[in-house]
Amino acid sequence: MSYTELPPSDELLERYERGELADAQRAAFEERLLTDPSLSGRLRDYREVMAGLRLVAQRRALREKLVAIQARIDGPASAATRASSLASTEKFVVVGQPAESARPVPMAEPVIPAARPLLRASWVNPARALWRAHRTTMAVAASVAILSAFSTLYLTAVWKNYQRQSSNGYALLRREVEKIKRTQTAIIRDINASSSANNVVGDDNASPAASFSGSGFALSSNGFLVTSYHVVKDADSLLVEGGPLHQRYRATTVYRDEARDIAILRITDRRFHTLGRLPYTFKKTTADLGERVYTLGYPREDVVYGEGALASKTGFQGDTSFYQVSVPVNPGNSGGPLLDDRGNLIGIISGRQLDVQSAAFAVKSTALLHLLANLPADDTARVHPDLPRTSQLTGVRRPDQIKRLQDFVFVVKVYN
Amino acid sequence: MAHASLQLAEEALVGAVRLGDERALERLYRLHYPMVAQMVRTNSGSDDEAKDIYQETVIVFYEKLLQPEFVLTCQVKTYLYAVARRLWLKRLAERNRFATPFADTETWPPDNVVAETPRDERWAFGQEQRYHQMEASLLQLGEPCRSLLEGFYLRDRSMTELMNEHGYANTDTAKTQKYKCLARLRKLFFATWRPTEDDDDYNR
Repeated sequence: MSYTELPPSDELLERYERGELADAQRAAFEERLLTDPSLSGRLRDYREVMAGLRLVAQRRALREKLVAIQARIDGPASAATRASSLASTEKFVVVGQPAESARPVPMAEPVIPAARPLLRASWVNPARALWRAHRTTMAVAASVAILSAFSTLYLTAVWKNYQRQSSNGYALLRREVEKIKRTQTAIIRDINASSSANNVVGDDNASPAASFSGSGFALSSNGFLVTSYHVVKDADSLLVEGGPLHQRYRATTVYRDEARDIAILRITDRRFHTLGRLPYTFKKTTADLGERVYTLGYPREDVVYGEGALASKTGFQGDTSFYQVSVPVNPGNSGGPLLDDRGNLIGIISGRQLDVQSAAFAVKSTALLHLLANLPADDTARVHPDLPRTSQLTGVRRPDQIKRLQDFVFVVKVYN
Repeated sequence: MAHASLQLAEEALVGAVRLGDERALERLYRLHYPMVAQMVRTNSGSDDEAKDIYQETVIVFYEKLLQPEFVLTCQVKTYLYAVARRLWLKRLAERNRFATPFADTETWPPDNVVAETPRDERWAFGQEQRYHQMEASLLQLGEPCRSLLEGFYLRDRSMTELMNEHGYANTDTAKTQKYKCLARLRKLFFATWRPTEDDDDYNR
């Protein structure tokens, strides 16, 4: 076959590249290569394709060798499982098995222990593989979920609390006893315990600090007290502290009027006998605007006096059961008595408006009397048999009024 | 002393691998596998992925060794770690995972920095392109062309064998078929990619 009969085909290129052409043909081809750029271009393409094929061949062969080596590292057991998933199954297994015995011994020493975990790991179940592959994503997703769940819970709680505390700018004045104040209480309690051990009620040293506190005052000499309903609302147990010796008594709630925020407590302690005659009277009519009023209460551990004037005959949002008074009050003042100049009890401190300067609210004494009048017949007599007709406070200087009044104002401590 | 002898041992090992000693290759493979596996597993890869990456790494190293002008300027360990690190980072980027910081299990950058010239990198890149292009083209080619060409060019089987296998009447028919297939392969191969001039002088 002479050169001229051969078309410039791939076959010619291949034969040239593989050195299969006779010398004459070869010389002619090379001569043509110099003058024919299309031919040299095709030769280049041919070489490029061959280079690609060689590369593929080389890599596949090498990969096969490495897979076989890896199989030997992994051990015969996992080699069998892996083999099924590989394209070159036959060769792989054939290479794998006999080489096991031919493994160079000195090499095995340092490598095998490190490779041990792999032996186990190659049996990994799909779930674990999935975990491995996506653990970062999972961890992030889980953290986000946990974080958002807890922040939602937290914010909901905060919001609820906020709403409860200040429904439309109105704040109830029971006091949440904080930790520092608890210690204070404990100190005072210790002093009390040592000075008048007999008078102290219950196992006092072990009693926990109160959750809330408010004020209260005597309704009758036989141990009925008045306070705000919201103070004793969630109470598990109640302690009241007061009287001439500043003693501590157990008490229970006997009546409540949620709408007017009034609760009537009864001292249930056996040590309690009587408070003596009440120094104040309960005003049966509505007091007048501008009346100078004052209160005693326990916004702290000690009794606190506050005074002002009767500012309005209606309370928050026009509630006619309440007065508005310009007495500075604080959490803990709730349930405290509101008295006028002549020592008439005209109301019970209940709450204040947050967004208004010095606007406190007190339930009218008429509301209290209304509640008492509506008690069952025999209870009325029991609760207040001796409502005084005259006040001992009329015409007395304010400090003297307070001295007499003080023994009838109590701290109400709520445990829950 | 120990270090020097270690270096000598390593040089001997690399030399043997270069000459195609398969036991040396196995030794090299076993020696550095734990290191790469550790790196991949630390960075959220599975064992199978570790094996895959390591094999690719060794292939890159091996091809580098086949370049006559290639001189290893650092320890084999460092070189393999560098390559495996690059490959694994690329794989992670493809997977488009959460960008967690990459935790190196060896000192990085290493003391004896792997000297990769831009030329080296281009070469490696071209090599990758060439390989993937060819694999893809072979896949696209379909049967029987694929097994015919693979049999002849990759596995060096004779035309007679292939003729029998594929049921051609004679070797001439088989040859004609083979050249037709080659022409198609060439078209596929150059359809989307063409090596740059720069790759060319490296090629052989």
